[in-house]
Amino acid sequence: MASSRGARAVSLRGAGEAALPRPLALGRLLGPRARGRLTPYVFLAPGYLVFATFMLYPLAKALQISFYHWQLMPGRVSQFVGLANYAAVLHDPISWVALRNTVLYAIGTVPTQIVLGLVVAILLDSIVRLRVFFRTLYYLPVITSWVVVSILFKYVFSSDAGLANYVLHDVLHILPGYIGWLQNVPTALFAIGLLGVWKGVGWSMLIFLAALQSIPKEMREAAAVDGAGTIRSYTGVIIPLMAPVMLFVLVLLVIGSFNVFISVYLMTGGAPLHQTEVLLSYMYHQAFDYLDFGYGAALSYLLAAVIFGLSLLQVRFLRREVEY
Amino acid sequence: MKRRSARLLTLLGGVAILGAACAQSTPTASTVTVTFWHGYNPEETKVFNEKVVAAFQQAHPNIKIQAQAVPYDTFHKKLLTAIAGGQSPDVIRADIIWVPELADLGALVALDTAMTDFNTYSSKVFPGPLSTNQFKGHYYGLPLDTNTRVLLWNKAMYAQAGISSPPATIDEFTSDVAKMSNGKDKFGYAEGGTGGWNFLPWLWTFGGNVTDDSVTKASGYLNGPDSVAALTWFVNLYKSHQMGPSVLGGDPHTDVGYAKDVYANVLDGPWMVPIFKAVYPSKTVDLAPIPAGKGGSSSVVGGEDIVLFKESQHKAEAQEFIRFMLSRQTQVTMGNIGQMPVLSELAGSPDLPSFFAVFQQQLKTAKARTPSPAWPKIDDAIGTAVTLAIKGQATPQQALDQAANTIDGLLKGS
Repeated sequence: MASSRGARAVSLRGAGEAALPRPLALGRLLGPRARGRLTPYVFLAPGYLVFATFMLYPLAKALQISFYHWQLMPGRVSQFVGLANYAAVLHDPISWVALRNTVLYAIGTVPTQIVLGLVVAILLDSIVRLRVFFRTLYYLPVITSWVVVSILFKYVFSSDAGLANYVLHDVLHILPGYIGWLQNVPTALFAIGLLGVWKGVGWSMLIFLAALQSIPKEMREAAAVDGAGTIRSYTGVIIPLMAPVMLFVLVLLVIGSFNVFISVYLMTGGAPLHQTEVLLSYMYHQAFDYLDFGYGAALSYLLAAVIFGLSLLQVRFLRREVEY
Repeated sequence: MKRRSARLLTLLGGVAILGAACAQSTPTASTVTVTFWHGYNPEETKVFNEKVVAAFQQAHPNIKIQAQAVPYDTFHKKLLTAIAGGQSPDVIRADIIWVPELADLGALVALDTAMTDFNTYSSKVFPGPLSTNQFKGHYYGLPLDTNTRVLLWNKAMYAQAGISSPPATIDEFTSDVAKMSNGKDKFGYAEGGTGGWNFLPWLWTFGGNVTDDSVTKASGYLNGPDSVAALTWFVNLYKSHQMGPSVLGGDPHTDVGYAKDVYANVLDGPWMVPIFKAVYPSKTVDLAPIPAGKGGSSSVVGGEDIVLFKESQHKAEAQEFIRFMLSRQTQVTMGNIGQMPVLSELAGSPDLPSFFAVFQQQLKTAKARTPSPAWPKIDDAIGTAVTLAIKGQATPQQALDQAANTIDGLLKGS
């Protein structure tokens, strides 16, 4: 409060012309009101410029490429093919396999991350000692490099005596022999999903923990006074209050799961026979192994359309207003 | 105290200015930088930087070679990204199978027209490796090194099975492999993948072919009886647990399995001998030609060409570097770290490692992979067929029929 009053005092003093340094020529031309309106844009401009250069321009360029038989060499004339690239994607059985795997990845990892993230957040919320320590511990996988952990998981799931085979066969004797985890489709998808969950739980935990801590104490006290036990107060009061945060986490996790790439690319590379390919790894394969950039761009736009549609549906049907 | 530190500062400042002035005056009038991307492994890179680049620098003080070791696995993609962005390097050491593709893209300079003394060099190299630079009537590069795969037979495992010499024929090989496999953790043979590099030596050895001689169609060749026999034999080795899991990407990899006496036979190139020496000093590597079948003893030609990019701003200096890479001195230096020279005058030279003899013998009958810009897709079709057959999802005949059909389309399209 005190600081905001101070700020106003400064701005009032600033209105006296004498205290200001010489205003810019443009500013003097426009007068103080127009100048005030212009100021935010001047500050926004650098950020927007970066956004336009590295996001908008590539987006537009990719859209253009998706309608061409694109020539890689600068200066060569690319041939306009209309929707042929889109048709090629839709008629390619592998792109449907990739879509299936992407959807399986989303179904397998998103609910798991939400449930585990919530459980860990509730546990952390209920302890005071060592909370920061455990929070950091759970968050560590989130900030480690995808490349590093993908290679690590590749070793864990090695078809030889990797950690998974060693524990399941040599120690626990559950498996009759070593499994080629990454050489078979179901086990490979499982390993990739497991990596996604392990790496992602910390993120949803952090968001949920912040949400839990922002719920007013009075709510919990009121629930306790009304006779709700620990579980009931969570299921009846606290979790419903977290609905907007849940939706936020859900939407972002779904978007994230549809963008899965590095782990797949590094752990299986789509092998065997493209059967573990996800949409982005297949896009990359088409563009950079086969030089079919038109196909890759079309696939990317179809993926974007799917994600956009899914996000819209989630927000449309799951949005709930909550008041404390 | 204060005055002393001030004096020290002045002194340091003076030294810095002097140093800067000196640094500015050292380079000669105009130094030109030539970028060179290569996929040399760490051992080779060390020799290349310390001996080859250093020697070139000494002979050409006005040309600076900026060499970059790009790992083979990412080379192709990194290169294409650079080309698309107009940032291609000046010169690269390109896998021979990339040259038709790069030439087709329009990224390369036709060396036979750009280099005035091209014939001096093209006449000094082996014709086989030279031919990998040819695309639509022009030569787009010069060969830099050549290689092929031969049989690395594991003497220790052979001895355990009571066999003293490597197999000379496919029949001997098949029975030896069976003897050295135990159905569990010992495999008579291991392969590192299912693509052309991996499978074609056997296909050719069995008398099969990928396409006709003029590379117009695969039907009747890739799915002909000899090709099918090769794949059937290959698949049977896997199904009877005589071929290691590495063929489908499992572990251990061929080199590790060979070093640890898990795999009794693998096929590999000359660069592996120095690698084994460095990584597994206690393991000796024994080499033999690929056992002969109906098609004789055949293998696959590998190697690299040196190519110049159209985008290069320093083509004259880059050509000077290309000449240096093809000099006897450089070829011998790199030869001693496992890069087989392409100069015909060096055949059987005492300056080179003696283990080259087996590779040189194998090269006489080794064949090149299909020279086509569509090779990546052709390779994929072959890999798919071999994988399908190994996994039992198609019979060898069905798998190869399908691949031949795909490749027919690819050859027509290009």
